[in-house]
Amino acid sequence: MASVKVPEQKVILCGEYGVGKTSLFRRFATNTFVTSTDRKSTLGLDHYEKVYMTDEHQGVKLQLWDTGGMERVASITSSYYKFAEAAILVFSLDSPDSFNILSQHLLDIVTYAENAKIFLCGNKYDLKNQIHVTDADMETFCEQCHNLISGTYKTSCKTGQGVEEMFIDISKQLGEANRSRKELDSLNKNSFKITPPEGEPEDSCIC
Amino acid sequence: MDEEYDCIVLGTGLKECIISGMLSVSGKKVLHMDRNKYYGGESASITPLEDLFTKFGLPPPDESYGRTRDWNVDLIPKFLMANGQLVKLLIHTGVTRYLEFKSVEGSYVYKGTKIAKVPADEKEALTSDLMGMFEKRRFKNFLMFAQDYKDEDPSSWKGMPGFDPKNTTMSAVFAHFNLDKNTIDFTGHALALHRDDTYLSKPAGDSLKRIKLYSDSLARYGKSPYLYPLYGLGELPQGFARLSAIYGGTYMLDKPIDEIVFEGGKVIGVKSGEEIAKCKQVYCDPSYVQDKVKKIIIPQKQVNRNSDIYVSLVSYTHQVAAKGWFIAIVSTTVETDKPEAEIKAGLDLLGPIKQKFVTLSDIYKPDTDGTENNLFISESYDATSHFETTCLDVLSIYRRGTGDDFDFSKVTHNLGEEEV
Repeated sequence: MASVKVPEQKVILCGEYGVGKTSLFRRFATNTFVTSTDRKSTLGLDHYEKVYMTDEHQGVKLQLWDTGGMERVASITSSYYKFAEAAILVFSLDSPDSFNILSQHLLDIVTYAENAKIFLCGNKYDLKNQIHVTDADMETFCEQCHNLISGTYKTSCKTGQGVEEMFIDISKQLGEANRSRKELDSLNKNSFKITPPEGEPEDSCIC
Repeated sequence: MDEEYDCIVLGTGLKECIISGMLSVSGKKVLHMDRNKYYGGESASITPLEDLFTKFGLPPPDESYGRTRDWNVDLIPKFLMANGQLVKLLIHTGVTRYLEFKSVEGSYVYKGTKIAKVPADEKEALTSDLMGMFEKRRFKNFLMFAQDYKDEDPSSWKGMPGFDPKNTTMSAVFAHFNLDKNTIDFTGHALALHRDDTYLSKPAGDSLKRIKLYSDSLARYGKSPYLYPLYGLGELPQGFARLSAIYGGTYMLDKPIDEIVFEGGKVIGVKSGEEIAKCKQVYCDPSYVQDKVKKIIIPQKQVNRNSDIYVSLVSYTHQVAAKGWFIAIVSTTVETDKPEAEIKAGLDLLGPIKQKFVTLSDIYKPDTDGTENNLFISESYDATSHFETTCLDVLSIYRRGTGDDFDFSKVTHNLGEEEV
């Protein structure tokens, strides 16, 4: 059966390999942290949904997507960006390289997900004495991006600091944007997702 | 890349991406490489538009085309049958969550001098001017027979006394239901989606099942039995590539493939530059193994074309072109040495054409089924207007490579299960 466009807000994580995108994803999904040594593979991790109440009556369902590690040696598929309402540019505060390359990721976002709101997230804030990317650097970056960045955050997935606050703030911003865009959306109602027909057993053989 | 893998997949066309996804889901360690810097191979949707012009050796597009990144131009003309194999694969693997679809507005047949809409439901069939009043009744009886038909179930053949699934030809079935030439043409080509008339003398089972697929697909989403993904067909391989990646598959694009390395007649790895990635099996499309495939030659004919001409039309409403633009693909199986002249009838149906890209592609089939040397080669995409044969090839390759049918229950996509 065809269902109309779902109200979830797709949020994607972008940034270099190893800056902590999957850790942010884990914090979001299960509020856990796994150190690199006993990190299990991220098999089967796709996306996760969570509802944030923006006020007493209004909720926003954030649907967070992880890259699946595709950025490690190849490029991420352009599909990953499609239909995204927001993108979080993640870098590691102890790695200027991971910060300096963000303009490249930003370009991908504006190319493939041009309507997405963009947020900047410096991760690994717990590494207090190894922080090499300053607030001033982040401000300069935002200015250079002609204010494309809707919010900046500093987080530590290890301690959990700032993570929940970031997602709450993003959901607020998306909630506001969503209200003003509802009418626009109705223009695009005739596309749909395909879902299993009701009554057909899940494990029916396709052969 | 100097590691050891269970399987290396070469080429990121749709078939290879589905296979890669299935292998990763089944727990195999997969390395997936492509010589191109984009995903999709032959089944990519080329974007931005200047890349398409470059591909065809043309100067960059002028400004009238709008924003070039709004274009996603398919290289093969195909749609998804709403109730077909690919939709089932998408649903069972969960890849459907990466995609949005539109139902194609309608399908039409052009015969002689007029264009007629293929009826989308019984009501349209009754008001269609394709058939006269009595013919409509006969056609309805035939449709009910096709609808009920099952290969193994004699009780489903009772609409035609003496029916034998192995011997009764499709033309005998048409004769039994007393359908006229026009209805037969329309049924065989627009419903059963045959590309020529050879099916008439073959056993009827295949055609009856195709007609059933068509009408089941119609019942699914309305208007027409065809679906098309927003942003183009290239979204399909990408969706399966992501499936493979989240199950641990490693991706490398823009990687020259220099050699598939054999030892004792069996695959042991793939060489790229100075590196060799070791593996037990290689899966690839024909372009990576030109010496191990044969070209399918279609006998040439001077008069009376046998193969149908397909015209597909998509537009900016499918997010494949800038606003106001349409992309038409006119295609056929080449039968003469003047291919462009063969599709003239199709080109004449279109409005003014701003830019035409002409391409000829050979059809290759593998020499061997791979079970001896562990090299599993897919067939080229055929001229059918949908993905049914594509999926059959994929399922067959998977079965040859692993000795098993794919187990869909292995797709969990479930965070809770992964975390324990």
